[in-house]
Amino acid sequence: MATPDRMTCEEVFARLEDFVDRELSPDEMRRVQEHLDACAACAAEHRFEASVIRGLREKLQRIDLPQDLLARISRRLREEG
Amino acid sequence: MTGAVSPPGVGDRQTEFEALLGPVLGSAYGSALHLTRNPADADDLVQEASLLAYRGFGSFERGTNFKAWFFRILTNCFYSSYRKRRRQGALIDLEDVPELYLYSRVLEMGGPVAGEDPAAAVLGKMDSEQVAEAIDALPEEYRVVATLYFLQDFSYQEIAGVLGCPVGTVRSRLHRGRRLLQRALWRVAQERGIIRGARDPDAGEEGPDGNA
Repeated sequence: MATPDRMTCEEVFARLEDFVDRELSPDEMRRVQEHLDACAACAAEHRFEASVIRGLREKLQRIDLPQDLLARISRRLREEG
Repeated sequence: MTGAVSPPGVGDRQTEFEALLGPVLGSAYGSALHLTRNPADADDLVQEASLLAYRGFGSFERGTNFKAWFFRILTNCFYSSYRKRRRQGALIDLEDVPELYLYSRVLEMGGPVAGEDPAAAVLGKMDSEQVAEAIDALPEEYRVVATLYFLQDFSYQEIAGVLGCPVGTVRSRLHRGRRLLQRALWRVAQERGIIRGARDPDAGEEGPDGNA
């Protein structure tokens, strides 16, 4: 099923972060995905990178906002006029 | 509502501004906390940025991305005010970190058990504060980009807009920042005893250079 434009492992590796972030062109996204579908080692690295990013985002987004912050800002804006 | 002394439209302007600010305030405070590494400074930074944004609200194009616009002001405010206060060197060294750093360390430990997510072998055992500690250990230029990326889910283009730099700069800082962060995570995990029996990553061994 190899296609003439199939990427090598090195080419995929160089694009892995951009692939995870969906920052590649549609054509490159497709070609990287095709490689990952066929290469277990690259697919494992991709799963790991994606999982680290997902895990970091989940943990970092749990921050409690000081309760009265908006009220204090609102007061200052009112004073500003 | 404003009092009788307020010029016409001021109350409406404030109402409109706060309606846009409210939904992004939590994420702004979260980012400010990582930028300043201090709750009191984060609180001040968000208030100051809000005031500046309100003053410049006339330049905000209605219908465009308020969050990106506000974060540009927040980040500039941080650069101009807060980093002067807390001049300090990088908390971690900047020596180059090999690719796939964390992945290699996990595999060295014997890898995840069958079916387990390998990232969970480290991250799954860390709490939010420990992860935040790793982010906060990054040198400023990487910490700023990482904060915008991990906390705000901004695209590279949006981060470039916030920082006023080319997308390529964002990409390269993010690339190196992620590797520095992986090493910082590993160190925090080691120091806190989350990872047991792991080798010291700075013992001088070579990282993986190959790829499948």
